[in-house]
This record gives sequence, structure tokens and C-alpha cells, in this order.
Amino acid sequence: MKRYWILGMCLLASAVGAAPDGKALYEANCSACHQSEGKGGIGLPLTEEILSQLSDDYIAKTIRNGRPGRIMPSFVALSDAQVKAILNYIRGWSSKPAPVFPKLTLKGDPARGKPIYQKRCVRCHGKDGSGEGSGTGVTLSRERKFMVMPAALNNPGFQRSASDAMIADIIRRGRRIGHMPSFRNKLTEQQIVDVVAYLRTLKPPPAIHGMPEWAGKPVYVMESPYGFEETVKALKEALTGANFRIFPARYLEQGLADEFSVNKRQLAIRFCNFKELYHLLNIDPRLGTVLPCRINVIERNGKVLLISPNVVEVAKLFNNRELLEVAVVMEEVILGVMEEATL
Amino acid sequence: MKRMLFLMVVFVLALPARAEQALLMVRVNMKAADTMDVLKETVREYGYEVAHVQRCDGGMAQFHYKTDYYRVLFFGKLAEVRGILHSYPEMAPFLPLKIAVIAEKNQTVLAAVDPLALTRLYGNHPVLSVQFARWHNDLQAMLEEMRDYRKP
Repeated sequence: MKRYWILGMCLLASAVGAAPDGKALYEANCSACHQSEGKGGIGLPLTEEILSQLSDDYIAKTIRNGRPGRIMPSFVALSDAQVKAILNYIRGWSSKPAPVFPKLTLKGDPARGKPIYQKRCVRCHGKDGSGEGSGTGVTLSRERKFMVMPAALNNPGFQRSASDAMIADIIRRGRRIGHMPSFRNKLTEQQIVDVVAYLRTLKPPPAIHGMPEWAGKPVYVMESPYGFEETVKALKEALTGANFRIFPARYLEQGLADEFSVNKRQLAIRFCNFKELYHLLNIDPRLGTVLPCRINVIERNGKVLLISPNVVEVAKLFNNRELLEVAVVMEEVILGVMEEATL
Repeated sequence: MKRMLFLMVVFVLALPARAEQALLMVRVNMKAADTMDVLKETVREYGYEVAHVQRCDGGMAQFHYKTDYYRVLFFGKLAEVRGILHSYPEMAPFLPLKIAVIAEKNQTVLAAVDPLALTRLYGNHPVLSVQFARWHNDLQAMLEEMRDYRKP
């Protein structure tokens, strides 16, 4: 027992006492999206220019808060020491020091800032401050209107992370990589402060909900009044009628079981609309984790069931509001197909 | 004493921090086609069979959409898949397991839905929750192995 006790103490001491490895933490938590050394991918590039505009406080809060609905998750489980280690690692890519901004609230007039925002900012950041265009960050494999999507200024994660002074500084300096111009010579100091005050009034867009009767459920399930083959035929017809291209069906055990023992009463009807798929992959390249679209036909205890993933609940896993908006539309289409096939 | 020791070990094991996210993702410093080959091997090393590969890029290219390498690897264990589908047919949409293989120039992003994220959706079901945790551990380990893989 004494040996175990000592082993436990050693483990605890090494875990608590060792300084966190910023590079290892970055590789484990950040590099999949921001790429090694911050070149950017699904996530924002962390270039020298961008790092020179962001305070340590802002980056740390961004890691903690994430960006609700804009892909970046919140890393609430990281300790302060781990966040600091990541920060130090990221800072090592830039020769410029981290800017420091006062935390005080700037005294601007949102009523005066609103028309300036509408004239100067709305084209890229949108009327409600949600940002413009599809997706977030930059993807290297697809064409994008901007290398860096304009920030969603109304995002609660951004609002909680950015200080007034930092926002004002970015307005003054602009951001080359995002094609944001400098307003140093276009706006007075008071006008910049008024715009910041207006930005603080922007509210996040309302929450998106799917159909209440399916909310919180992992799948849509409908029982078919027909036999297995008839149901499969009716489902294919309904999918074709809804403009989907149907792939060859696959048994759920196919590829795992041999052709003699495979359960032929568990079939995945896979379908796609390539135009829609292309659009969706631009909104979120991670969508492959739930592709292809499919409705399963399963015979069990004499009943034939149609089972599809609940696309709204699945879309929520991606923390991507734009994807969720599409999922709400898709939910209606898929349920329509399932209903038609079981009429 | 035993309880204290147990709690301490649990604490230590729980220390590695994870994001509050529902996807498991890693970046692999290797081209996508090579990554797919190594991934298939890794999946097999963990006791799974490769069921098939969905070529999303091929389908999009057929319709003249510009795309890089974009495929999905499906894999599973027959006994596991069969047993779960027998008892819980509503798990069908999430079986077999899958990992998306997404090219980003000379690197590759691997992404999968974290099975732990399904726990809440399935109402913290006692049997399925254990299964989700097992899959999570396997996927996490496979992806970390892929992230650290260096071409010989």
C-alpha cells in the first residue's frame, strides 16, 4: 500500500508541479483549426499583424469564452497556467511585443456612433454586427471572399473578450489581412469612441430552434405501414422527388460482415444534393464527420422503421450558427421525405 | 487510504484539459492520401475493421465542383455494431463510426464526432454511455497517434 501511496503522490506532484508545455497544448487544442504556427485553416490565422493588435487578456478570454455559434469552442477546462503557456508559445511567433490596453470603459455616445457604423462598417460587419459571408476564418482549399472573415462584433464571446480600448485601436489601425482599412485619418477620436459605444449595444441574433416535437432527440423515427422492400422503394421515390441523388444503398454491417452473414434488414439509404453539399462544406469543412446524408430502414420484431439522425441536434455539435440555420431547413425536408415514404 | 489513493489517481487522470466541444480534431503533417493509408492501419491496430471509404471529393468533382481530397473512413467492430443495433436500432445513424479526412494543402485535418457528445442526446443511457466513453477513448488515442505520426 505504501508503494501505491508514493506512486500516487509522485503522479500528483508531476501533474501539478510541472510547468505546462505551451507547444504541446497548442498542438493538442489549437493546431487542428489554426494550423501549426498559426498559419490559419478552419480557424483564424494568428499572423504577426493580428497578434500585434490583440492583448494577452483578449486572447486568454477568447480561449476561455470561445465564440458561440462561430466554431471556436470554449476551453473552460484549461487551467490559467495552461492558457498562459499557450499564450507564451503563440507570442513566440511574433517579434512584436503584446499590446496592453487599459480596461476602462470608453465614454462614447452610441446614438452618434450608429450612423458612422452604418456608413463605414456595415458593408463587412453586417447590419447587426454578425459579420459577412459564409463560414469563419480561412480555408485553404476553397475560395473565400475574404482571407479573414470580418469579426462577428455582436458575438457574446467577442463582447466579453475585447476591451473598448482594443477595439478602438483596431479601428484606428485597420487590419491588412482582413482588408479592413485604417480609420485613423477618416474618423476623429471621439467618433471612434462613439462607434465603440454603439458596438456595445449590438445584440446576438436570436437562438435557432428546430421543430419542438423533435427537440433534444438524437434521431427521427417513423414506423412504416409497408413491408421492408416496399418501404425502401417508397423512400427512394420520396428522396428523388425532393431532388436528392441516391447512392447505392449499403447494409449497416456491410464491410464488417461477410456477404452471407450480413443483416440485410438493416439498410442505409444514402443521398446527397451536391450543390447543397458544396455550399455546406464551405460553411463548415468539418461536416464530413456526419456525411453522407442517410435514412436507415430497419426491420425489427416485425416492424419496419425509418431512422434518420436529428439534423438539428447534430448541427448543434458544430458550434456553427450558419450550419444550424441550414439544418432547420433540412429537418423539414427530411421529415417530409420520411412522412411521404410512410404515408 | 484506498479511497484517497483512488481519488488522487482519478484527479491526475482528469487533468488533461479538453475543450467544451463535440468534435475531436487533429492536424496531421502529411498529405491526405498518405494520411488515409496510415489511418486505416491505425484503425486496424485498435481492433476495428475498415468498412468502407466514402469519396465525397469524387462526387463533387463529378458535378464540376472544385474540391481537394475529402473522404470519410467508416469503421467498426462487427460484434459491437451488431449487438448495439440489435438492442438499440436508434443508434443506426451513428454506425459504423467515421472519421473525415480533409486535405489542407500538404497537411490533413482528421475530424470525428466525439461519441461522448452523444451521451446527452441519448439521455445518459447507462449502457450506451459506457460504450460512448469507450469509443471516445479509442478515437482520442487513434487521433493523437495520427497527430504525432512522423513518416519513416
